[in-house]
Amino acid sequence: MLGITISDLLYRRRQFLIATLGAGLVFAMTLLLAGLTAGFATEIDQTVGGFHADMWVVKAGSSGRIASLAPMPEGLAHQVAREPGVRSATPVVVLPQTASVNGGLQEVNVVGAPVGSAPARQPLAAGTEVSGPGQAVVDARLGVGVGATIAISGRPLAVVGVTQDRTLLGGSPNVYTGLRDAQAVGFQGAPIISAVVVTGVPTSIPAGLARFTAPEIERASLGQMATAVQSINNSKLFMWAIAAVIVASLVYVTALERTRDFAVLKALGASSGKLYAGLAFQAVLVALIAAVIAVVLAQFMTGVFKQPVDFPASAYVVLPLSAVAVGLLSSLIALRRAVSADPAKAFAG
Amino acid sequence: MGELEVRDLTVEFDSGGYKVRPLDKLCIDADDGELVVLLGPSGCGKTTLLSCLSGLLKPTDGTIRFQGIDVVGLAGAELGAYRRKTVGVVFQAFNLLASLSARQNVMVPMTLAGVGRREATDRAQELLERVALSERVTHRPNQMSGGQQQRVAIARALVHDPPLVVADEPTAHLDHIQVEGILMLLRELAAPGRMVIVSTHDDRITHIADRVIDLAPQSSNGHQADVDVELSDGDVLFEQGDRGDLVYAVVAGAVEIYRERFDGSEEILTNVGVGNYFGEIGPILNLPRSASARVRGATRLTAMSVRSFRKRFPMTVADARKPSV
Repeated sequence: MLGITISDLLYRRRQFLIATLGAGLVFAMTLLLAGLTAGFATEIDQTVGGFHADMWVVKAGSSGRIASLAPMPEGLAHQVAREPGVRSATPVVVLPQTASVNGGLQEVNVVGAPVGSAPARQPLAAGTEVSGPGQAVVDARLGVGVGATIAISGRPLAVVGVTQDRTLLGGSPNVYTGLRDAQAVGFQGAPIISAVVVTGVPTSIPAGLARFTAPEIERASLGQMATAVQSINNSKLFMWAIAAVIVASLVYVTALERTRDFAVLKALGASSGKLYAGLAFQAVLVALIAAVIAVVLAQFMTGVFKQPVDFPASAYVVLPLSAVAVGLLSSLIALRRAVSADPAKAFAG
Repeated sequence: MGELEVRDLTVEFDSGGYKVRPLDKLCIDADDGELVVLLGPSGCGKTTLLSCLSGLLKPTDGTIRFQGIDVVGLAGAELGAYRRKTVGVVFQAFNLLASLSARQNVMVPMTLAGVGRREATDRAQELLERVALSERVTHRPNQMSGGQQQRVAIARALVHDPPLVVADEPTAHLDHIQVEGILMLLRELAAPGRMVIVSTHDDRITHIADRVIDLAPQSSNGHQADVDVELSDGDVLFEQGDRGDLVYAVVAGAVEIYRERFDGSEEILTNVGVGNYFGEIGPILNLPRSASARVRGATRLTAMSVRSFRKRFPMTVADARKPSV
């Protein structure tokens, strides 16, 4: 029966090719959406990891979301530094801002930390790290190189270095500056900070403050993207449904065209189960080939998105498994055709 | 008693809500090695009979015994085995799978029966050589003539060397040169150990048959004297599906013409009164009655042959429009 099924598939290769490409495109979109969701987590992980902190001390009641930490006096950093178990305590500012870049406006995340501190040292793709006031290291997604000047809240910053993959909030590039520049941009120069990043594990913290581990900060920050993630996940469901409809349409049309074949095969001794297995095999094969096409297409389609796209390894396992499920579900639509085929109809002239 | 014994075979089915009975208490016998021809026009039940013989259609009533097997009583795996091993079917429209080559088409029944690929290939090759198609084994149906396709279909029907081969109008789509080849092949196949049953409406094939079964014998339509018939209220003159030679004219009383629906209900088509006639189409076209006739009140009719009817009632366009049976 497998040979008959494959021969039929080759005989209708144009139909199958069109459906496979269609389903492949939809699967590629699904893969990209999975990549976008994973990208949100990855950018937060990379940005938070870039602070090299064991613990974040923030104002009590703060959500722990990195881009919306409640401001607190800079002086608290000294109190935290004196707590037992603390090896280092660095005051930092993290603020979403709008930057003027090449005559246009772009959303950025200003990250301020004392020059030379661990949070200020990011892996560079070009240039040097910030060494004084009025300087900035920017993520490559900002689209400017070393030597360019950007302005945030009217404050000009000279770009001295460029990082890779340092973004937040779905692809907004980070701009690393000295602490004073960040305070000037966000708090009119007032000694206010967003958090104290700590190495070591403090056994206690000053009253009115709360502490988060780095993973807790990441989880809380990802919550900020919950709506976007939910929307993308819903879109993914639609994509799976569209792929299923494409494959189901193909299988159904094939089953319609093969009504006479089914009757003949039954007259020659084929069971309904074998006929359905043949259809299911075709549907699963189309879906699996579409999944392979999707993996290739998705690599070329990532450039379309401004947001970071990170294909998790699990996606390459989930995609073929889901493709098999889509194929099997799609073939159910033709099940009735296979079961109801009347072998006596083979006699019709 | 022959190798094939069909008794009181009746098939009824629903056709657009009406009950149709293509086979009505049919009885036939045939012996091993015979080429049996089922003769009759379209709609006379030839294909229905072949479907029953090949185990693809359950009759409404009656029995079929082939080599002692109660074919009508078969079900499930036994029926599947009968279809695969005992009977080979040649369809009117060839019914080859378009995606497969001639050899692959012949291999299909063996593939479905789980025969090994090597064995199936060898057997298909052998059968295609037997039907003189060894040069066409890799051709697809659309690359072959109708006669060649029919020969592939015959080869496919022979894969299990079945003792019964049924062929439904095997020459319907062929030109006369191809017809000759197929008929000779079927004649050759009917030999001790194998019975071949062929349905056709082409009576030329009867010259090579061992047995001819006419499923729609011609009505006499000859001259016979008109006969007066007297009937009482509720008497049924003829039933839907019956065959008959006579046309009726109402002399006194009335006749109700009705159709039986598949659900058992009746649909009244018309009432025929004094001076009018009914029941002419069946005898004229040699078709079964398409409706039943029942008498209303004490009624007297004149029963006449088609020839007599033509003389007494020359047909007009208006007549052709009235419900006819």
